[in-house]
Amino acid sequence: MVTCTGCALLCDDIEVIVENNRIKEIKNACRRGAARMKGCSNRLVPCVDQKPTDIESSIQKAAQIIRNSKAPMLFGLDNSTCEAQVKGIHFAKKINGILDDTSSFCQGILIERVLAQKFRTCSLDDIRNKADVLVYWGSDAQDSQPRHLSRFSYFPRGELRQRGYEEDRMAIAIDVRESNTAKICKGHFYRIPPKGDREFILALIDALYGKVPAYDTKKMLELAGILKKAEFGAIFVGIGLTYSIKDDFDVLTALAQKLPNFNIMPMVGHYNMRGFNETMFKETGFVNKVKFNGKAVHDIKYSIMESLNEKTADAIVVVGSDPVSSLPGPVLSRLASIPVICIDPCVTMTSKIATVTIPCAVSGLESAGTAVRMDGKVIGLSKIIESEYLTDEEIMERLVEAV
Amino acid sequence: MVTVMELYQLLPRTNCKKCGESTCMAFAVAMLGRKKNVAECTPLLEANFKKQKEKLESLLLPVAGAEETGMIVHPELCTGCGNCVVACPVDVANDPHGAGMGCAPTNDKVIFKVVDGKVLASNIKECRRFGKNKVLCYACIDPCPTGAIEFV
Amino acid sequence: MDMDFGKFLKSPEYDIKIITYRDIFHAEALESDRFGEEYKKLSAAISMSKTDMQKMGIKSGDRVKISNNFASIVVQTNESKRDEPGGLAFMVNSPWSNSLVSGETRGKGIPEFKNIDAKISLSKEEITTLDKLMKAFIKNPI
Ligand code: SF4
Ligand code: SF4
Ligand code: SF4
Repeated sequence: MVTCTGCALLCDDIEVIVENNRIKEIKNACRRGAARMKGCSNRLVPCVDQKPTDIESSIQKAAQIIRNSKAPMLFGLDNSTCEAQVKGIHFAKKINGILDDTSSFCQGILIERVLAQKFRTCSLDDIRNKADVLVYWGSDAQDSQPRHLSRFSYFPRGELRQRGYEEDRMAIAIDVRESNTAKICKGHFYRIPPKGDREFILALIDALYGKVPAYDTKKMLELAGILKKAEFGAIFVGIGLTYSIKDDFDVLTALAQKLPNFNIMPMVGHYNMRGFNETMFKETGFVNKVKFNGKAVHDIKYSIMESLNEKTADAIVVVGSDPVSSLPGPVLSRLASIPVICIDPCVTMTSKIATVTIPCAVSGLESAGTAVRMDGKVIGLSKIIESEYLTDEEIMERLVEAV
Repeated sequence: MVTVMELYQLLPRTNCKKCGESTCMAFAVAMLGRKKNVAECTPLLEANFKKQKEKLESLLLPVAGAEETGMIVHPELCTGCGNCVVACPVDVANDPHGAGMGCAPTNDKVIFKVVDGKVLASNIKECRRFGKNKVLCYACIDPCPTGAIEFV
Repeated sequence: MDMDFGKFLKSPEYDIKIITYRDIFHAEALESDRFGEEYKKLSAAISMSKTDMQKMGIKSGDRVKISNNFASIVVQTNESKRDEPGGLAFMVNSPWSNSLVSGETRGKGIPEFKNIDAKISLSKEEITTLDKLMKAFIKNPI
């Protein structure tokens, strides 16, 4: 059994048949996971100024750029093992750098609150064994964490839910779009207008207090009735909900307080984004957006977006992430105006604009380690095939030495 | 899923008997049951029926790939989510501590497995839709997000 | 179908709100080759309800220009298989949709990735390539 790193469900029941150091067959992984395990078609090669070189020269050039930088930034590590993340944090400390990851424009705001225990939360195993009411909110698990419903939340028969989804569980979707997950929730899909989540929450809280909600009265009272009767409920908070209420996140806290039988579960994409947030939280007390300067200083201006907007960083090391692909177009010129050092197993849009590229092994495939599942459980990753590539953990170590 | 009526409406409906069946309706039933194929209706070969013929062929295409029991899996639509694996009552009965609990199947008695990111059906004769005590089970069709499983 | 250029020259613009989402087939294409045809095909696409498309005189398969203050891209239109509310269009989250997102975050660090205002009109131009997208924002990609 090996672990899939296709998403933060980290399915650890995958069987692979390896032949001549290549994966021949993958059992139990979903389409997304299988694609991940088969790997990318274009591996990265070490380059300086886009000219191929050897890995040693790449690392030396990267170290030189960082030495010459007044405000270096390290970004990424969401697709790295916890061990590499620890090394990454040490590296950022050593260079007095800024450190941030994708979570600062993704689920970080939610995970921060989960780690600070602002919400009740539980494990996915609890959900499998006990949950009877499941709310997928702004989350299309079917497409982003494809085995979520089958492995844990809706379809399995658990200890207290022996009759499974047919009789023992109810799935509800609240979303702007009728997603594949919403389709499975059939009669319990609540469609909301874009940015309508806050109003929906407020109306739902009214309904839970027994007041007549201002919004979609009949459906809202019906939903409040279902939630009140739940013995063990879960709200799976997707990126859709997080983005929509990012300016007023406390409405979700207020709703959670009104639902004592419910747990809040962040739906995470990148396989070890929660791991990054937890490792950072342990080491610095913050989940992301930090600058080291003897101590860790946390500020919004150290988020990747504001670092680029306000030109806070003057060189950037990107590990296992593709900001050129995932950031808004208008900030890319700023990213391209500073030296970029790209550490990744594959050619990415970011590697195409990088001054230095350093190829690394694919974690969970060519190197082992641990990662944190979306519910906080630590899962082991195994090395499945041999490779010549340095791991990102080793590259972090090498950079610490070289600067 | 295609119905007899859909097929019938695309036929010439002249009951000419050239296909060997007594009526066009009977021919439609035979096509659905994979006993006859579109080409046996010779009037359809004429130019003015070109559209109908193509439509019929596309409707019957999945039938051509059906297993003995009529189950068709469309691997190109399947996301490998495993919902069918866990929801199928046969899988639950035959592997209660594996597939039934949402885990990877632990034996070869299950109907559904996911291989290379797509579902693979085997042991189809165990399906509740067949055999002596057959029931009209929808437990693999309903949970599928993309309509990758159908019965014809 | 013959191209009627006159129709394109006069093609009217409509306001749309684009909601972005994730799709497993798109995620699969990204894992295997982010510079490949499949990834481009699934990214450079927009879907809308049948009613909206009829109103705008756009058919499935038509190329459309989507533009706002930040970018102008050409993608292919698909009719949504679902029954969608009017006025909303859907795009998979990718560099194509991200090009239309403002870099301004009002000091919050989170851009409006999922909620994009833009104008849509029929276009006869080629579908925007990844290369072109990068060149639009980055003056001299190395
Ligand atoms: S659900 Fe996620 S972790 Fe599980 S097999 Fe699919 S991609 Fe991999
Ligand atoms: S119809 Fe029912 S018994 Fe047959 S394969 Fe589907 S779920 Fe299983
Ligand atoms: S439920 Fe549908 S998409 Fe999921 S594994 Fe089964 S056939 Fe494939």
